[in-house]
Amino acid sequence: MITRTITIVGFAALISAMVTLEFVARRGSTRIPTAGQWLGYLMRSRAGRALVLLGWWWLGWHYFAR
Amino acid sequence: MTAEETREPGQQAGRPVLGTLAVLGLAGYAWVASGLPPFSGRALVGVLIPGAALGLIAYGRPPERIPAPDRIDLTGFSYWVICVAALLEWEASAFRDNSLSWHPSLTALIDPLIQPHPVRGAAFLVWLLAGWALIRR
Repeated sequence: MITRTITIVGFAALISAMVTLEFVARRGSTRIPTAGQWLGYLMRSRAGRALVLLGWWWLGWHYFAR
Repeated sequence: MTAEETREPGQQAGRPVLGTLAVLGLAGYAWVASGLPPFSGRALVGVLIPGAALGLIAYGRPPERIPAPDRIDLTGFSYWVICVAALLEWEASAFRDNSLSWHPSLTALIDPLIQPHPVRGAAFLVWLLAGWALIRR
């Protein structure tokens, strides 16, 4: 059962790290971009835009249609 | 005189009302679509419709977009890349171990949390709003 706990703690730590990155990025005066900024940067090209939107759709399909 | 001052009162009031109506409509759609049985054709259509609608809006009539930065700092961006890559690896290792009780995937952990219909509906609405936020980028 300890393996399960380690797995859950790992997920929680990684998600917490991303929330912290977003928080730090929004404080300004940092080199870290917000999630919106780097997603916007990736979506400048047509292919990048299509891939990001496809990823968004896949998440919806994965969690709500399956 | 600024653009804000020259705007008609009806225009100022119209946008928030339209926005509220749109969110209410999306919430209604989220409630219905999230109640469809999983692994069914109707559930698939429930996520295909918003996907197709946003795809059409994104490439046909995109809304006013938030300007993307011309460049981003690679060092700052690398923190995000490390976190996303680690999350994907952690998820992949759950599938590789093929023992969901010992090493559950993120999906296996989230699914029970979003089973109650109100929570599932709220999650569906968040997904729809995230899609809208993305096509504005």
